[in-house]
This record gives sequence, structure tokens and C-alpha cells, in this order.
Amino acid sequence: MSQRDLTAELRGARITAPDELRERVRLIAAADTTPTRRFTWRRALVVALPVAAAIAASIVFTRPSNNHAVATQTVVRGAILQHGAAKTLGPIGAPTTMDSAGAGGAAKLAVPSTPGRVQTYGAYLALRLHSATAVSDGVKTALHIASSLGGYPTSVHASSEAKVASADLVLKIPRAHVQEAIARLSALGTITSEQVDIQDQQAGLNATDRRIARLQKQLTELRAQTPSATTAARIAALQSQIARLQRTEAATRRTAHYATVQLHLTSAKAVVPPKHGHGPLHGVVVALTWLGIGAVYALAIGTPVAVLALLVWLAARFVRRRREDALLSRS
Amino acid sequence: MTTEMTFAQAAEAHLDDVYGYLAWFTGDLAAADDLAGETFERALRLWHRYDPRRGSARTWLCQVARTVALDHFRSERRRTRREQLAAVPERFEEQFAEGLSHDLQIALGVLTAGEREVVALRVVLDLDAVTAANVLSISPTNCTTRLNRALKKLEEALHVAA
Repeated sequence: MSQRDLTAELRGARITAPDELRERVRLIAAADTTPTRRFTWRRALVVALPVAAAIAASIVFTRPSNNHAVATQTVVRGAILQHGAAKTLGPIGAPTTMDSAGAGGAAKLAVPSTPGRVQTYGAYLALRLHSATAVSDGVKTALHIASSLGGYPTSVHASSEAKVASADLVLKIPRAHVQEAIARLSALGTITSEQVDIQDQQAGLNATDRRIARLQKQLTELRAQTPSATTAARIAALQSQIARLQRTEAATRRTAHYATVQLHLTSAKAVVPPKHGHGPLHGVVVALTWLGIGAVYALAIGTPVAVLALLVWLAARFVRRRREDALLSRS
Repeated sequence: MTTEMTFAQAAEAHLDDVYGYLAWFTGDLAAADDLAGETFERALRLWHRYDPRRGSARTWLCQVARTVALDHFRSERRRTRREQLAAVPERFEEQFAEGLSHDLQIALGVLTAGEREVVALRVVLDLDAVTAANVLSISPTNCTTRLNRALKKLEEALHVAA
């Protein structure tokens, strides 16, 4: 018998399922309450991919820009004592960051002093200028600002090396004009750091006034007594003490009349702020960049894992086939 | 077959094919009867996974039947090992298909289950090489090789019998 006859005979062989089995299968099929298949991986991917892309895009676009913060941050330190109570602007010794107006903007910490109270006002302002020449010009302008507001410099130190220049000035500015001074000085360059310290001296002066009043009362009483050597000596001591207290008080008031403004100008290279307001495709480029980074990471991590998984799968398939072949090799 | 085919329609249409495949595969009509019932029970549970774009319902049902039959073979082997009867070969049931000559029925006994399976799929059910290979989880070339080997064995057995 040829193979053709053989296959023809095999094809002609009919095996029909018995009626009992047919009935049993019908009963099984009658229990079919399987809902129409709604979930497929393809459908899931159609939904999952845009959702993942949207999440990635939202993360990229809503992510705060660290560079921007570096370029414009302002360091605020110090505490303000006002009306005898401490008003903290930020943790002492621990810098607090806040946005500033950037180049040419007014300082945020131009805190006004309280009129009618004696306070010592100190301010520190660090500015970055674009060149050494600008630093030189800035020193001149700062001195001019101080003199125009009735103030004066107590120290000026300027140095330059190659293309980098810096200057440190200590200016005395009438307290009444310190806000204006800080605002005008801030306009000289980009604020890199600022600090304000206000110390209220009014309580101490009030106590000194009361002490002087008591001493003067004692003096009046001594003068009313019968003059004697002892009385005269005590009167002289009291007068001396009163005069010393009055001098101290006057010195405090003089000091408080002027605010001390330390100004640091530098042309040192600054962190170049990132360009903003790029083209309309900038966001897409950023998103693609992140996607690329993610893809590289996924490849670097995923490839060995995928290769390992493939090897395991191949080995498992090989073993399974060997076992199947062994199982089916019997007649 | 359309994508709208229900399980009941698929079962009705392909019961004979599945039963015939299992009969050829196991060489035992009683076992084929049991396994066919089990196959359709399992197929009903898995019917939601059936994707008509990936193959016909007949192919899919044959795949399920094969898994059921392999489980049957494994359990049978464990049973025979327990009973220390592993050395006793199973007898291929005679007169299990209508239209086969006596010599061919006898000759079929020389085939292994794996060879009978490929004959059932390729010749009796007339599946093409790719579809049969898909059911067997082997390559189409391997499937064709197995079929040729099986037919050659049958031919030799018939020659010897003659």
C-alpha cells in the first residue's frame, strides 16, 4: 500500500462521537454564561499608553525647575525685635529661601523701622554685577545714593583681579531713608543674598530715662540738705553718673539715627539661568529627552532581565518538550 | 467561523473532530469519551480567552484537548509506575474507527501516541502543517517530519503484515 492509499484510507476513517457524549457536551455548553470578552491586551494598551504618556508629561511639565530657584533665590536670615517682642523672619543661622525680584528688582527685605522708636537697623545686601566695570560704577553709584539720602560711607573696600572684581561698602544711611536706600542699591545688580537685623533700643532708653530721673530726684534732695563735704561729694558723684548716662543715651540715639548698610558687590561668574520661553516645541523636546532617559534606563536594566527570562523560558520549553516526547513515545 | 460564534455552536460543530483527535491520540475510545467531556468543560471555562483572530475554534479546541490528554497521559504514567506496570505497553484499541482495514488497524498499533497524534491532526482532521504545528507547539517542519515518519512506520508495518 502506497502512502497515498494509506492517507486516503486514514482520511476515510470516521470516528463519530457517541450520542451520550454529544448530549453531555450540549449540557456543558448550555451552562455557558461567559460574557463577551471585553478585555484584551491590545485594548488595554490603547488606554494605558496614552495615560502613561499623560502622566509622564504632567510630571515633566509640573516639575519645579531647580535651576530657576538657584538663579533667583534670596537668602533671608535674622530676627527683628520690634516693640520688645521678637519677630522672626526666618530661622536664625538656617537660611530660608524665597523668591526675589531678580536683576534690578527691589529687595524684599527692605523692612521699615518703626517711627518714633529708637532702633538699630542693620542690613546686608550682596549683589552680582555683570562686569568688573559695573562693580566700579556700582561703588560710585552706591556712594552717591548714600550721600543723596544724607548718609555717608564708613568703609569702602574694592578689589579686582583679572576680570573679576568685588567691593565691600559699609554705609550709614538715615533710618528714615533706609528703605529707599536699599531699594535703590538693589537696583544696581542681581541680589544674591540679603539680610536685615533690627534691634529695638527703646526699652533700654526708657529704663535709662527712669534711672536718670531717679538720680536727679536724689540730687535735688541732696541739694536741699545742709551742705557738707559728704553731701558735696555725693552730689558730684550723682552728677557724674547722670552725665554718663545721658551721654550713653545720646550715643545710642545717634547710632540709631543711622542704619548700617553693608553692601557687597561682585562680578564673579554666576550660574547662568536656564533659558525660558523657548519655542513651542521645547516641552516636547523635554518630554522626549525624559522618555529617552527612561528608555536607556529600561534598556540597561531590562535587557539582562529579558535575556535571563528568555533563557529560563527556553530551558523550560526544552524540558517540557523532552518530557512530552518521552510521554508520547509509547504506543 | 465568525467572531460571533458561541461556545455551544463551536462545541456542536467540532465535537466529532475533538473526539476523533482524542481517540487517535489515546488509542482508547473510552478514554477519548472521558477526555472529550473534560475538554469541553475546560474549554467552557477558558472560552473567554479564545481569540478567533488567532485561529479557528477547531484548532483552539484541539489545543485544549491536547492539554487534557497530556494530563491524562501523565496521570496514567504515574498510576502505572505506582502499580509497577510501567513495562507493560498499552494496547492500541482495535476497531475504534469505521472504514479502516483490519491490517491498518493492526498496523496502527506500532505507532506511538505522538505519532498517532500527528496523523490524527494532519490526515484525519486534515489540518495544514502550520495549524497542526501550532496545536503541537512545535515547528511546521518538525510536524511534517513526524508525519512522514509515522506514515513510513505504518507503511512498513503494513508491508510486513502483507
